Amino acid sequence: MAEEYAVSIENVVKRFGDFTAVNGVNLKIKKGEIFGLLGPNGAGKSTTISMLLGLLQPTSGRILINGVDMSGDPVKARTHIGVVTQETVVEPELTAEQNLMIFGKLYHIPRSELHNSIEFALELSDLVQFRKSYAGTFSGGMKRRLEVAKSLMHTPEIILLDEPTTGLDIQNRAQIWNLLRDINKKQGVTILMTTQYLEEADQLCDRIGIIDHGKLIALGTPDELRTNIGLTNVIEITADKEDLQKVAGIFRKIGLEPTILNSKVTAPGGSNATKKIESLLSAMSTAKINVRNVSMHEPTIDDVFLKLTGSEARDTSGEYKGRQLLSRR
Amino acid sequence: MKMGIITDSYTLFYREMLIFKKNIAMNAVRSTIFPLLFVLLLGSFGSSPRNVPVAVVNYASGPAALKFINTLQSGSSVVIVSQTNQQDAMSMLSDGSVAGVVIIPSGFSTGYGSNSQIHVYLDNSQPQSAAVVNAQVNTAAAQFGGTSLQGSPVSVISSYAYGASSNYISFVVGGILVMVASFGAIFSAGFTMIGDRQLGNLKAFLTTPINNFSVLLSKIAYGTFQSVFSDYVGLVIGLLYGATIAAGLVGFIELLWIILLVGLGFGALAIALATRARDQQTYALIGQTLALPLSFLGGAFVPVTLLPKFLLPVVTLDPLTYAVNAVRDIMIKGFLPLPTLISTSAILLFFALLMSALAFVLFRDTSKQI
Repeated sequence: MAEEYAVSIENVVKRFGDFTAVNGVNLKIKKGEIFGLLGPNGAGKSTTISMLLGLLQPTSGRILINGVDMSGDPVKARTHIGVVTQETVVEPELTAEQNLMIFGKLYHIPRSELHNSIEFALELSDLVQFRKSYAGTFSGGMKRRLEVAKSLMHTPEIILLDEPTTGLDIQNRAQIWNLLRDINKKQGVTILMTTQYLEEADQLCDRIGIIDHGKLIALGTPDELRTNIGLTNVIEITADKEDLQKVAGIFRKIGLEPTILNSKVTAPGGSNATKKIESLLSAMSTAKINVRNVSMHEPTIDDVFLKLTGSEARDTSGEYKGRQLLSRR
Repeated sequence: MKMGIITDSYTLFYREMLIFKKNIAMNAVRSTIFPLLFVLLLGSFGSSPRNVPVAVVNYASGPAALKFINTLQSGSSVVIVSQTNQQDAMSMLSDGSVAGVVIIPSGFSTGYGSNSQIHVYLDNSQPQSAAVVNAQVNTAAAQFGGTSLQGSPVSVISSYAYGASSNYISFVVGGILVMVASFGAIFSAGFTMIGDRQLGNLKAFLTTPINNFSVLLSKIAYGTFQSVFSDYVGLVIGLLYGATIAAGLVGFIELLWIILLVGLGFGALAIALATRARDQQTYALIGQTLALPLSFLGGAFVPVTLLPKFLLPVVTLDPLTYAVNAVRDIMIKGFLPLPTLISTSAILLFFALLMSALAFVLFRDTSKQI
């Protein structure tokens, strides 16, 4: 029987000492799907990715790649995956062509096909005319494209991208998106990606999973997430920084649950959102609060994400903690 | 499938070679500076050692001979470690436990004609020591001459048992070659390993369907290659500066073999260290702290016979001791007996295997490598 799922994460737990990074995640990713894994820093995302790559062993549970157990036969499992890691790992001291050639060989592409695979990757990444240039001279976008193409040389069924567009400008980001959509449509490659840009997940992904505190806390299509979480239109009021707490208080008075973000106070409007805006505005004018902007919009994945994971900024110490534990052991 | 690890290792080694080729100019300059500085510095300022061990063969049996021996021992430049027969003394010279053999002829006490000639046999593979012995015997002879002997004054005939045609530069270069080999491996293999980890390359390699250990093998191979490369450069500089390889072409091949083994051992040591060092600074500190004393205690700069006694156990355990001896035998004495070649190779191979095993064990848990 053909394997229905490209990736199957079953009851996976990962502990570092007494720190549980991943706490019983179950996730099945269908073949041909573009799946986005989101989560705040230190939520367990990177640990999950590392386990998917076979770089870390789960404390319990198992991971199947195309039906192959990652712990049981990592070498075979890896032939099914192409990987784009968080760091851009093209070798600056090698040319585009040489970079591809080395990885082609590491992916055990037969000698007779290697040349074609390199050509394919150069075309895919739109770097044909830069084939002899050292990757060290490339822009960030070119390096990323080269890297994505590199991970596709051995025609894997699944490609795993860990924050593929972080640090790229909008044009380069769009180019990567097109590349990913392209390989997904034309070659049916299953894509599993993590991203910090929620809008990216919204645009690109068929389904999204949100992970926090080591658990999968939401799963569905972007639309499902918006509706199921009970998010209605979002009210957003911009005011002077010193007034934000007062504004939040007024929100609460009329039964809204405000979140303060930068110079804005936002809250899901629920039913009758328009009426609520009226009451908010009149209350604020009585309180002599200088309202700079008022808006109402459909909930975005940002809103879903904030609602689920809270608005407090998490510094990266969670990830560092994991790393420290790793290096200390 | 078992061949996979070899192919994968070769692919990764090939990658190192491509990078090496790109940076070859820089690498050549780096490989040049080190031996050049050492040849210039050490070659120009020889140290003057103390307590150089010598053996005395006394064919005479009179007060004059004993008096000469006492004169020889006055001062602290030489120490008579043995008074024995000529055969034993010469074999002590051969194995390096003494730096010179002083022979007092049977008629020394009567002191006529050739009977007043002291013969000294020296080993010039330890030129500092040989020079000291020679000078001290001559000094003793000069003090002795004429005062208590009738007839002709005492004269000294020195001959080099080993390394007659050699020079101090060959001694220095021999040591430098071994040091450069160990440093070359430590500072190439380990650095690229840590660099690759910091850049994420290592992680990328480990996510491809290769045997993880091919990463280790390729790095060890690269370290070995760098040792041999740096030594080629060092040898050219040494030869231009006047060093010689007394054993000729065969010696050249033997030399490369010894260097290869040193590179292998220290490449593996480098990788073992690099699996745990978090960054290049820490690694450089550990690497230097280890490599420099090992070279020094191995006798790369100063003959081990001149080192303090309490360091002897370290000297015995230091694989470089054997490499330095072998290289000096090849370059200065002009021959490396087969048993010595075999035992030296065995010791260096054992060290390489031990270090490789350590590297493999430390690398097995790849979670520390990402």
